[in-house]
Amino acid sequence: MSSRWYPIYQRGNPQLRVFLPNFWMKLVRPEEAQPPNVVTFSVSTEMTIHDVRSYLEKIYKLPVIDVRTRIALGETRRDQTYGYVTKKDDVKYAYVTLPKTEEFTFPELFEKKAEIKEKEEKSMDESKNGFRKFLDRNKKRPGTPGWYSI
Amino acid sequence: MSTILKKCFNLAKTVRTATITSLLTAPKQQWQALSAAASQTPHAQMMHTSPMRHGLMEFFDDPKHWSENDIKVGRAWRTDELRIKSNKELHQLWFILLKERNMLLTMEHECNDKMEIFPSPERIDKVKISMDNLEKVVRERNTAYHLLETGETGERPQKRVNNAFGLQVNYKSCEHVLPPFMNLKWIKSRNIGFGGRAVNRFLLKYREQLYNAKRKAKNRSRNEVMMILRRNPNFDLEVLRRKFPDVDIDKLRSADKARGHYVPKVGV
Repeated sequence: MSSRWYPIYQRGNPQLRVFLPNFWMKLVRPEEAQPPNVVTFSVSTEMTIHDVRSYLEKIYKLPVIDVRTRIALGETRRDQTYGYVTKKDDVKYAYVTLPKTEEFTFPELFEKKAEIKEKEEKSMDESKNGFRKFLDRNKKRPGTPGWYSI
Repeated sequence: MSTILKKCFNLAKTVRTATITSLLTAPKQQWQALSAAASQTPHAQMMHTSPMRHGLMEFFDDPKHWSENDIKVGRAWRTDELRIKSNKELHQLWFILLKERNMLLTMEHECNDKMEIFPSPERIDKVKISMDNLEKVVRERNTAYHLLETGETGERPQKRVNNAFGLQVNYKSCEHVLPPFMNLKWIKSRNIGFGGRAVNRFLLKYREQLYNAKRKAKNRSRNEVMMILRRNPNFDLEVLRRKFPDVDIDKLRSADKARGHYVPKVGV
């Protein structure tokens, strides 16, 4: 469909416009330590620097100072048994600089996960113990229903 | 780009987060879209809207979902629901879905990095289904508009052409900077003849393969009909005719192979 294509660049106005853009952007944790106002994104490979900038400015209303991109080569791996080579997809990373006043640290999403897991395990242990007690109590009188004892 | 689409593009600048939160929920809560105006009414107390988030935190899920194992969400948008929406609403919804997908992809990536389980991964599929349906609806409208205005569908032009092996392939036209008569590279690339001994030999064998497949299929169904007739002499011929329309069943009834090991009833 014509309106879903990425149109080729023509000089003059109107400039590049996509009616329903299909680009995706992922905010990823930076591999190296970055200044607090630099954010790392993993983006669609066909996105240009201008696309990244206008995407963030228009859709997310973010003040963007600078954008740099690079394409990371996907890993190649040789299969251990048959020896053929497989390759993962290339990924484009965009390093977006926000104004000096902005600060962004990647949030810790799974801080509370350990606590919750501990709690769950605790309740599981309790119910296990309860069941074990019930079995022990009814060991001498097999076949009697659970409500029989006091 | 057509004027309608241009208009839509301008209208899309008016996307507000208030509508975003309301449109994102399942369509049964469509009345939430009016919540901004109706916040003073008593109905507003029963309503739930997620708080607005700004900036980079839009790439992350609601913090209260971070340590959940299971997140309850509604279903995807259906085409019938999208068909009654205006172009402006569809355009807004597209960007909402786009943001939602970015959020889900970010969360999935982080979960994979931290070796955690991504809760409710079907959310990504639901967003994808919604986006596909939305695109379908927009496409329908676009085609209708183009047919009205220009008499053509406005779809990407395609045609069947022969490639270097003499096989038919689908050629999809695309945009070029230069017009065709100036674009020498394009002219050369389109000038794919086929011929030569190797290609002719290949085509001969390829066609033989196709012919053999057809011939074998024909023989197979013919034999099947004969075996059925041999084992079941009183088989319903109408059913057979319906199931094997290419086989001449009347002719096969008198075939030698279709006769069973029994004395035929004569004159009954």
